[in-house]
Amino acid sequence: MNFVLPIFPEILLLALGVLILILDPFVKRDEARRPFLGWFTAAGLLVALTLSLLLARPAEPALVYGGMIRFDGLGFLFKMFFLFAAAVTALFFMDEEKLARRAEAYLLLVAATLGMSLMASAADLVMLYLSIETASIPLYVLAGFMKEDDKSIEAGFKYMLFGAMASAVLLYGFSLAYGFTGETGLYALALHFGDFNLLAAGVTFLVLAGLAFKVSAFPFHFWAPDVYQGAPTPVAGFLSTASKAAGFAVLMRLFTAVFPAVNADWSLILAILATLTMTVGNLIALAQKNVKRLLAYSSISHAGYALIGVVAFSQLGMTSVAFYLIAYVLTNLLAFGVVAIVGRVTGSDEFSAYNGLSRRNAPLALAMLVAFLSLAGMPPFVGFIAKFYVFLAAVNSNWVWLAFVGVLNSIVGLYYYLNVLKYVYLFRMEGEDEEKHPVPVSRPVAAAVVVLAVGILLLGTLFGPWFGFAEQAAATLF
Amino acid sequence: MDFTLLLFFLLAATAVATALGLLLSRNAVYAALFLVLNFATVAVFYLLLGAPFVAMTQVTVYAGAIMVLFLFVIMLLGAEKLPKGEALPWQRPLAIGAAVILFAEAVYLLVQRVRLTAALPDPGTWENSMESLRQMAGMLFTDYLLPFEVTSLLLLVAMIGAIVLTKGERAVRS
Repeated sequence: MNFVLPIFPEILLLALGVLILILDPFVKRDEARRPFLGWFTAAGLLVALTLSLLLARPAEPALVYGGMIRFDGLGFLFKMFFLFAAAVTALFFMDEEKLARRAEAYLLLVAATLGMSLMASAADLVMLYLSIETASIPLYVLAGFMKEDDKSIEAGFKYMLFGAMASAVLLYGFSLAYGFTGETGLYALALHFGDFNLLAAGVTFLVLAGLAFKVSAFPFHFWAPDVYQGAPTPVAGFLSTASKAAGFAVLMRLFTAVFPAVNADWSLILAILATLTMTVGNLIALAQKNVKRLLAYSSISHAGYALIGVVAFSQLGMTSVAFYLIAYVLTNLLAFGVVAIVGRVTGSDEFSAYNGLSRRNAPLALAMLVAFLSLAGMPPFVGFIAKFYVFLAAVNSNWVWLAFVGVLNSIVGLYYYLNVLKYVYLFRMEGEDEEKHPVPVSRPVAAAVVVLAVGILLLGTLFGPWFGFAEQAAATLF
Repeated sequence: MDFTLLLFFLLAATAVATALGLLLSRNAVYAALFLVLNFATVAVFYLLLGAPFVAMTQVTVYAGAIMVLFLFVIMLLGAEKLPKGEALPWQRPLAIGAAVILFAEAVYLLVQRVRLTAALPDPGTWENSMESLRQMAGMLFTDYLLPFEVTSLLLLVAMIGAIVLTKGERAVRS
């Protein structure tokens, strides 16, 4: 049983994927049975989540499978959130005609989740690289899933090219590390790293570049807006949340495990990267007229905020990053979910498509308000608490100017988030007859939206226990 | 010893010549065939160094599978002939400059850091190289079992993804 526990969520995910493949031919024949696969995937992911929480919680951090996997709290926390995000995304898939029709979409979603789960706990360069590819390749396909849509194909292809490039850079870094130390285990590498300063700098540079692509940090952020805009909206939501969180999980583990010796030199560079990521993301977001592009630039700036916590490099810093990612996953999934609904009904993602949304569907407009205010970092939503702790961690580690930059950037962010809400609440449709143009919401999507909105409020008000989970998880890193 | 050294220089000359042929050939099919020859030469290098497994992989995977795929793609696309002239006029001087710098760096590192000597490492006996193969197999199914399994999953998912993207959509039956 000890062999099963560390990869228990992954085993369940694999079983779920196989079941989806087996069920596909039986469901395909009948139009009425088609929604079944979506419900089945979401339910399966939630069952995996519950079973893992009940049975497979890690005790003491331990290296298992020949040092391939570190079974610890941080990996476990991230895995649980990946499962949750995937379940919600599966519900959003059901609303998207082209995705819902193909069982492969759900299978690829499950496979990507499996890869991300392994990313969060990988403790060996070989395992790390394989898990990153397992997470990325299904996502390339999902981004280009709409074969009749040129934008979607462009998104998939661009994402794949950028991803392959980033993988190559990452591999160069890994091969340098292995070549000089003869070790592939992250924790064994750490022992040798102090001896080679120049090598450590080279490896850190290359690995950082590869991971900056994953989390879409400056200057490797160029792919994000095009990919998010072209990809099917639920896929973009999943890309911008779970995939980014997985990148951060790897970043946190690498920086606490391998690079402590070189950290002092790199904190400043990371701090500058965080500043540029936030500022560039926010400033370009100001000029956007398309909600999906706006969310893409906003997600770049959010990577910058989360990087602040990594720069702080304290236990509080890592806790704040973990909590920030939890908050961000909930919030951005909701934002993309609402955009998917509106996009499907109006056929457009421009701001003008949102005119009079509050009169066309008041609860949906409210959900959008919750998501956007949480993204902006307003209390009582979870975005506020998350930002607060990230800035607190920075101040506690004597990075006052970085916290200051973060606060200034939040103000810029507030402007463009409120600007979208202006269209939703203040502007009216042409002809002022909103009652005749309702925005219907299907049952699975409504369920997902309600869960996410409640989650944002719950974590924003009763954040104590959740922050406690993040704290326990981050403590296992040190 | 003398025979091995002679063989080494012969192979080295072949490897460099085929690599040059690959770069200078303006016909993509010839370039690919040069690359196959290059791979085969390098495989013999591995044999000389007492690594039969790597040599066999080199032949089956690179020279065999991957290059055949390359040739198929080149021929299916009908992209054998390169167009005349340079797409980017400043590319050639830049490439030459970069190549000179890289070569100088490589020579410096080999001479200065590694202290290059003329002697080849002892290739060892056949039994020894089989032992290394056995060790590798052992590692693959103990310490590296999980990555091994994940690789199989990754390949399966990539295959499904490729089918999804290339297969035409059938009309929906109502």
